[in-house]
Amino acid sequence: MSRYSSLAVLGTALLALSAACRFEPPRPILRYSLNSKEIAKNADMAGNSAHQEHLLGALEFLFGTPQHPNFLVLPDWTDEEPEFDPNYWSLDGLSEAEKAAMRASNARAYAGQIAAIRAGDFDSVEKPRYADDLWEDWLRLVEERRANPGADRNWIEEGAELFESYYPELTVSAELYRQQCFHCHGSEGGGDGSTSQFLDPLPRDYRPGIFKFTAEQNKAHPRNADLFRILKEGIYTTAMPSFRRFTDAQLHGLTDYVKLLSIRGETEILMIADYDPYAGIQPETLIENYRLVVDRWRNAANDFFAYEGEIPESTPERVAHGRDLYTSEQGANCVKCHGATGRGDGESVKNNPKDAIDEWGNPILPRDLTRGVFRLGRRPIDLYRRVYAGINGTPMPAHFGMQITEKDGTKRMLDENDVWDLVFFVRSLSARSPRAEPAHPAQEHP
Amino acid sequence: MQALKHFLLRAFFTLLFLAVPVLGVWTFVKAPAWHVWFPENVSSYGGEIDRLFWLITYMVTVVFLITEGLLIYFFFRYSRRDSSRALYTHGHHTLEMVWTAIPAILLLVVAFSQMGTWAKIKIDLPEDSPYSAAHPMMEVYGSQFDWRARYPDREGNFQGEDVIETPYDIYVPVDTKVVFLLRSRDVLHSFFVPAFRLKQDAVPGMEIPMWFEATKVGDYDLVCAELCGWGHYKMAGKVHVLPGEDYEAWLEGQRNALYSNGSED
Repeated sequence: MSRYSSLAVLGTALLALSAACRFEPPRPILRYSLNSKEIAKNADMAGNSAHQEHLLGALEFLFGTPQHPNFLVLPDWTDEEPEFDPNYWSLDGLSEAEKAAMRASNARAYAGQIAAIRAGDFDSVEKPRYADDLWEDWLRLVEERRANPGADRNWIEEGAELFESYYPELTVSAELYRQQCFHCHGSEGGGDGSTSQFLDPLPRDYRPGIFKFTAEQNKAHPRNADLFRILKEGIYTTAMPSFRRFTDAQLHGLTDYVKLLSIRGETEILMIADYDPYAGIQPETLIENYRLVVDRWRNAANDFFAYEGEIPESTPERVAHGRDLYTSEQGANCVKCHGATGRGDGESVKNNPKDAIDEWGNPILPRDLTRGVFRLGRRPIDLYRRVYAGINGTPMPAHFGMQITEKDGTKRMLDENDVWDLVFFVRSLSARSPRAEPAHPAQEHP
Repeated sequence: MQALKHFLLRAFFTLLFLAVPVLGVWTFVKAPAWHVWFPENVSSYGGEIDRLFWLITYMVTVVFLITEGLLIYFFFRYSRRDSSRALYTHGHHTLEMVWTAIPAILLLVVAFSQMGTWAKIKIDLPEDSPYSAAHPMMEVYGSQFDWRARYPDREGNFQGEDVIETPYDIYVPVDTKVVFLLRSRDVLHSFFVPAFRLKQDAVPGMEIPMWFEATKVGDYDLVCAELCGWGHYKMAGKVHVLPGEDYEAWLEGQRNALYSNGSED
């Protein structure tokens, strides 16, 4: 009989296995956690766990939870003309060209679905990846079509439009963030995800609201376009890859979510700084700080320094002048950190440890300019922005308007042309002539 | 009654084991319909790779079916009741010689029939190409975790100021023998374009000249085929095969975009 009992065990096991495959465990409710580094700095707060819990709840009131992130919309924002809703921040701010690019990118990504809709074959439309809200809208449309077959609506156009004009909800962007970004940047955007410990340089901590690669002056916050560009291009020589395999809409959605995390983090830091152990977490302070941080982000566009007109031509004279500015102590004095050979080995790095630490407290070295590797873009305009406005959070200062003394003794401010001369000199540092010898003589056939 | 039970049990397990070759072959037959098969070949030498692939697949299928058939036959034929004792057999010398010699011959067939294709794809670079190892069309860098193509400046210099770099997207002209250098910035990666039937490891410290000729305009997947770290799954890309003049226009557009004043971003 033992054979039959073993068969029964086998059969039960198979049944249990097939049931287990269909079983979806309930998803745990996620919560953001507090910025422990900042709390440790504030002894009152660190000792009051009840108030910490209040702060966490207050931040959830403003920003929701990881599964349901949502900006609280202040009443006066809805009165504005046009209405300001941070939940659709990027979408509302897109230019016509960006909107067209977004549509084109949606049309490419959902080409199969759109083709099926245009052919009138609604049943064979496949579920797109990473776009649950789009799929829900689509199923609703299909249901409406089934319910009202005689309705005077162009179902084909409506369906295709749904896919072409898709823009993700914050909830879906947060899900994408958890799949693609979370493991380095962490669930609060603290740059403390589980893989971050293997990385050098470390992933960005969004919470202080400092971003390196911007096109703004005065250490302003980045515009959407700055964050979008990083997602598109990646940051070469770091672990930040290019995310071009996602659609423009998805990347705009991710910038929205990064902004939510950053604004949440900044509000949190302000709340911890303003903390009064007797009053606790006050709603007025909360809203005041929230408004302050959001306004900083909204004002980012005002600090954007657009360069009008053509990029000037590089000439040997300009490169030579750039070299003078680079090397002279009374000039831009780049040698101080980047070194006489441009390899990032200046005296200051060795003698002044403060020049080798960034604002996040991590060691940082000046860029080796001879490698031709520039983290965010090697276009002249990218280098121009770095020299002109500096790099936020690093010892690299803004050079525009700096007091300089020319070789002939004249004192003046460093102007746009000087910035370009420096850019041309820096670009010339990494350029080499083409190799004279073939790279692989053995593989060259006579 | 006992004999019937024994027969049914034998039959059950024989059929269970028979499911392995049946399901195995069926999976392969259905794979193209399930879209888990090779994509359409769009390179000039992909056909030769496919022919070799089919040669080996047919050989393996025949051997697989014979061995599975024997296994199942023996399973049924020689199953004994609990009471019977194991028996000792010395084996068969001629049989052993035969099943050693046949695979050896088959291996030699495979080894010799692939030599020409291997040399053509991996060793000899095409001579009738506008590009060569000394003057490649582009350099492709693998790094943790993306692919990046570099195109030379107008003078053909890869060390110049105006080199074009594109992450993820690689653009190549159709019907042109494209020679490129494959390099790695950190660890082992593998450049794999299934539609071209081209796979080559990128080795840190080495410049590996590779070539292909795409025969059809379109966008093809590029993946990393060597486990290169925790982000290996992210390391994807697209090879965009463009008509020749579109490729030239794209390259010219990139060269102009390098001197953009940044007003569009």
